[in-house]
Amino acid sequence: MASRLIVFGILALIAFLMTAPSAMTLFTSLKPPEELILPAWTPPASITFEHFERVWTDGGFRRYFLNTILISAVDAIVMIGLASMTAYAMVFMSFRGKLALQVLFVVGLMIPVTAIILPLYTTIRSVGLINTHLGVIFADLALAMPVFVFMFSSYFVSIPRALHEAARIDGATEFQIYRRVVMPVSVPAIITTGLLEFMWSWNDLLLRLLLLPREGMRTLSVGLLNFQGQQTRDIAGISAGTVIMAIPVVLLFLFFQRHFVRGMTAGAVK
Amino acid sequence: MADLELRNISKSYGATKVLHDINLKIDDGEFIVFVGPSGCGKSTLLRLIAGLDEITDGDLLIGGERSNKLSPKQRNIAMVFQSYALYPQMTVAENMGFSLSLERRPKAEIRQKVDEAAATLKLEALLDRKPGQLSGGQRQRVAIGRAIVRNPRVFLLDEPLSNLDAALRTETRVEIGELHQRLKTTMIYVTHDQVEAMTMADRIVILNAGRIEQVGTPMELYNTPATEFVASFIGSPKMNLITGKAAQEYDAATIGIRPEHLDIVTESPHWQGLITLVERLGHNTIVYAQVPDVGPVTISLEGQHEYQVGQNVGLDADLSKIHRFARDGRPLV
Ligand SMILES: Nc1ncnc2c1ncn2[C@@H]1O[C@H](COP(=O)(O)OP(=O)(O)O)[C@@H](O)[C@H]1O
Ligand SMILES: [Mg+2]
Repeated sequence: MASRLIVFGILALIAFLMTAPSAMTLFTSLKPPEELILPAWTPPASITFEHFERVWTDGGFRRYFLNTILISAVDAIVMIGLASMTAYAMVFMSFRGKLALQVLFVVGLMIPVTAIILPLYTTIRSVGLINTHLGVIFADLALAMPVFVFMFSSYFVSIPRALHEAARIDGATEFQIYRRVVMPVSVPAIITTGLLEFMWSWNDLLLRLLLLPREGMRTLSVGLLNFQGQQTRDIAGISAGTVIMAIPVVLLFLFFQRHFVRGMTAGAVK
Repeated sequence: MADLELRNISKSYGATKVLHDINLKIDDGEFIVFVGPSGCGKSTLLRLIAGLDEITDGDLLIGGERSNKLSPKQRNIAMVFQSYALYPQMTVAENMGFSLSLERRPKAEIRQKVDEAAATLKLEALLDRKPGQLSGGQRQRVAIGRAIVRNPRVFLLDEPLSNLDAALRTETRVEIGELHQRLKTTMIYVTHDQVEAMTMADRIVILNAGRIEQVGTPMELYNTPATEFVASFIGSPKMNLITGKAAQEYDAATIGIRPEHLDIVTESPHWQGLITLVERLGHNTIVYAQVPDVGPVTISLEGQHEYQVGQNVGLDADLSKIHRFARDGRPLV
């Protein structure tokens, strides 16, 4: 009994330490100006959305938000298609150069972004895609693709081969098998990929800082950093911006939580 | 409907050859069973015919046309898998109509063909269910339904009954037999169970280690096995294979006597045996006995008998039914 209490105490402490910064940020973003002098951990006595309105319109977060959601949504959707088709070919088809391709993906898995950031920048610049959404989207997809190809592959190998063969016997083309047999049974992998890619894309700072420096093209991560630099005293505004950036990811995660966990462990236990 | 011909077909996976020089002619409308021990290459041969694997060497003719390079669809064959391989996210009706929907046939036509097949297989009440909501036997029917909806030239079935319990297996065996009677489509059926082979086949192909041991009607295989392997594989209980001095008496390396051709006698017995086990099945009794200089033998007696373990009995064989084999397993005539 005592030992259970200790465990409970430790877990509660960790939970508190982990949620405290988020809670304080949320509190600060909702406090009217006169309450801001109170310590950050005191909940707001009365709630105001004025800080949100301020950063949303004057702070330019509206533009940042639209930029971010556009890039992240395109990233997630295209990644699902691209990675699953590649993985399908790797798992279900045989073709020349398959092994070489696999090796390339493994290499891609091991190289950190920071190591190739400079050549990446010059490549994107040389094709004239600096300050375009497309440039960032290309870079995002290329960099994260090995991870998701790997994830889809490990999901696909858990699909019985006989299913693929039955569809071939039924006269389905490879694309029909992909579209009508394999993808419908891969919902957990699809959701996990979409969610993870969306979140990575949403939260990424480095690539966006480099590839989208112009004001009108900024994403939330860059916008928030900039805002922090310029409005160092506006704690409430910074907090509101942070909350704006966090909300979609939190909502998505809550909504898909169960699928997400299933997708991550699929193949490992089956 | 179509006949098939396999000419010198062999199959290798990398350096390992799993099928050697398979030659076989299958007539239109025949029910052919491939039987053999696990790992002998039955499924591989079936997959070559289906077009799921590439033929390494030799020719496959379907309806007289060389089909080595044709896709499964072009061959117009249907296959029932051991695991059934139903599409889990589709309903029973969608599973059965999948091949037709891929051909973009009109919905009404698909519906009608699915309904027809469902009626044949008593699946009407299950059409809107998903495979996950079906029992093993029902899934198996759906897998067969998916095959017959297409009206293929040839049916391939790979151990379709091996995941069913014994009672259901016998029942489904009969139903598949009746289905063949009705459709009169060429069927190739793979099993490792010689009882299934004997009961269902027009002709049986016995495979062993990637080679055909013998092709023939069930009774041909039973009466005149071409090799010692066939002799021991066909028939239940297994044929007694006796080597040594007892076989030399008959100028053979091995003699084979089926349990049903041995009898327990009181007068002038050929051998004396000590009973080690008695199995009573009602319609027959199986006696296991130990015979000095011969070894263990199995005797199958018709009807019910009161023999006891430990009893010493005289044994006699029906001499006209003894099979004699040379050292290489070939029969002596
Ligand atoms: N894809 C494969 N790669 C390598 N060897 C295989 C493959 N498929 C089957 N084999 C081998 O071929 C032999 C025959 O297999 P199979 O046709 O499945 O036997 P059966 O169906 O008679 O039990 C086995 O020894 C098996 O290990
Ligand atoms: Mg097999």
